[in-house]
Amino acid sequence: MDDDGTDELLLLRAREEREKIFQRYDRGTDPSNDVDPWENPSFEVYHYTDKYGFIQDQRLPIKHDPHESRRLELEVEREKKWLKMLERWDRSQDKLRKRVFKGIPNKLRSAAWLKLLNIPETKKKNAGVYGRMLTLARKYCTETRQIDSDVNRQFRENLAFRERYSIKQRSLFNVLTAYSMYNMELGYCQGMSGLVAVLLLYMDEEDAFWGLNTLMSDRKYAMHGLFIEGFPKLTRFLQHHDYLVAKIMPRLHKHFAKHNLDSILYSLKWFFVIFIERIPYKLCLRIWDIYLLDGERVVTAMAFVILRLHKNRLLKLKDMDAIIEFLQVKLHKDFGYDDDYVIRALEHTMQELKRLKLDLPPPPQPNEFPQRQLGEFIEPDFEKKIGHRKSVFTENEREVLTNVILRQEIIGQTDVESTNSYENSESVTGDAISMRTYQSFNSLATSLALSTDTLDSYNENKLDSGSDTEVEVENTRL
Amino acid sequence: MATTPRGGGTAQRPNGASQNKICQFKLVLLGESAVGKSSLVLRFVKGQFHEYQESTIGAAFLTQTLCIDDTAVKFEIWDTAGQERYHSLAPMYYRGAQAAIVVYDIQNQDSFQRAKTWVKELQRQASPNIVIALAGNKADLSNSRVVEYEEAKQYAEENGLLFMETSAKTAMNVNDIFLAIAKKLPKNDGAGNQGSGQGRRLAEVEQNRQTNNCCK
Repeated sequence: MDDDGTDELLLLRAREEREKIFQRYDRGTDPSNDVDPWENPSFEVYHYTDKYGFIQDQRLPIKHDPHESRRLELEVEREKKWLKMLERWDRSQDKLRKRVFKGIPNKLRSAAWLKLLNIPETKKKNAGVYGRMLTLARKYCTETRQIDSDVNRQFRENLAFRERYSIKQRSLFNVLTAYSMYNMELGYCQGMSGLVAVLLLYMDEEDAFWGLNTLMSDRKYAMHGLFIEGFPKLTRFLQHHDYLVAKIMPRLHKHFAKHNLDSILYSLKWFFVIFIERIPYKLCLRIWDIYLLDGERVVTAMAFVILRLHKNRLLKLKDMDAIIEFLQVKLHKDFGYDDDYVIRALEHTMQELKRLKLDLPPPPQPNEFPQRQLGEFIEPDFEKKIGHRKSVFTENEREVLTNVILRQEIIGQTDVESTNSYENSESVTGDAISMRTYQSFNSLATSLALSTDTLDSYNENKLDSGSDTEVEVENTRL
Repeated sequence: MATTPRGGGTAQRPNGASQNKICQFKLVLLGESAVGKSSLVLRFVKGQFHEYQESTIGAAFLTQTLCIDDTAVKFEIWDTAGQERYHSLAPMYYRGAQAAIVVYDIQNQDSFQRAKTWVKELQRQASPNIVIALAGNKADLSNSRVVEYEEAKQYAEENGLLFMETSAKTAMNVNDIFLAIAKKLPKNDGAGNQGSGQGRRLAEVEQNRQTNNCCK
């Protein structure tokens, strides 16, 4: 067959595959739809489903927790205040800030998040755009297969996403395919499905689309730079994270280095999906509240807080396996600290880091932001259309790879001093890190320590006695 | 070489006599998105299977130890993300790896083609002595198979790869493929170091011998 014939065939095949996937989402939960038996999990209604819709791996409790009713009462009180505040919305007021840190009442999260992400205005200004993107996606989305396979495994333990092709699954598919048309430079990157899924638990499809757009393109969040090819923003934030750990918690830094633990291994999801599936969902929502208010600096501070609060525990873990298991699995199940306590530690850390001018890494390069006009459509080229992978790395990709490997080597040297290179690098602006601030590191280390040490020991006892997994047992033995 | 009998049932933790030697190997899983890389690892390490295994973002790390004769083979397993965007991070994981499992889905021709390009990349870029295994996963869904067993087998033979069709769901060949790799890896003293970019800490391995008991 000649080349042209083959090309035609490949295009036809890609088109057919895309159209088939779209049709299945069109049909939704209609019984005529083509759903493999394995795609639909069984509903076990007698399991405990939390108020956010997540089915927990435990049976219903026999009686109510008295603390829970107290919390509910408090939440009702807060709802009243929030209702008033939402009516007279003023983003800059102190009262708003204080109340966001206390936690937005779950019933009003929807309204509050819409406002924090400036969704109603954006949507009004862009009337008709979302519909156009949906139409374009149907014809040109080159990420259809990847998005489909990610929708099929996103939050399947949540009632909203439980059933294959349910309304929320369809919304998730639509938002992601449409956004890959609206921001063609970014397209779709794994991780984005998690962000949209959280938004969709609190808003409708089109609102979630504009919410996603705010998260990606607004300078406050600027997640575009996290997900684009080469992940430039991730590299910048990880470097800063490593720096903070090395300077403020040198023992932990050495401990991680000794076990070859690069921060990218435990913290990728912290930065990419704002702690989803790395800390309990209830606490995660509190972090999201604050993230939507204050943006990227919250992630830097929270990443630090997680390590700080669990430092003693982490120092006792004897290998990379155990450390990663602890940070990725254990903390998701049980963070070990009261949510309000964690939020106070976060607030305190945010203030301290800001005072030290360390709340953010050095400023971004322009390539972390969309370079092309959002919404501008350029027809994908042939290679993209047929889903061919590139065989060589781009400049960007080579750079990120060299960077990551270099960092690994630095860490491999088990030398805290090596992070000095960061201090001296040109990218650090002004005199952010002077001797004076260096001395204040100690104040940050100890001020948190003062308030957390007693809790640390309490917490360790609790974790040690309460856990029955191998890692725990092994460590207790050691 | 005789292998110790495998524990039956779901746990798949091999039992065996007390070992004299511990070898650590770095193993990386590569392959197209959603072919079941994480599921294979979960089955091998924890004996579990989740239909809705969350998508791997970046990479995940797990370990598991197998016993062969008097040797405990500890695998440090790097499970990578399949989306092309994450490709630029992959060399960081296969750098210094002594073994790799390249996975495809027997229902998906593209994933098989992708597996071939991974093999090529490994042969070009990874350690020269790397042991590569090809896994045709989702073998339980063979009624919708599009990649023929013979085709993959022939490709594997031509390229000097271990080859098995596996099913993370039914556990078919999961332990076996890791075992086959373990057997093929050189286990004489210090062998674990070959081609390694980071250098295994043998002293530390010695130190851990008391506690690092693979044969639980």
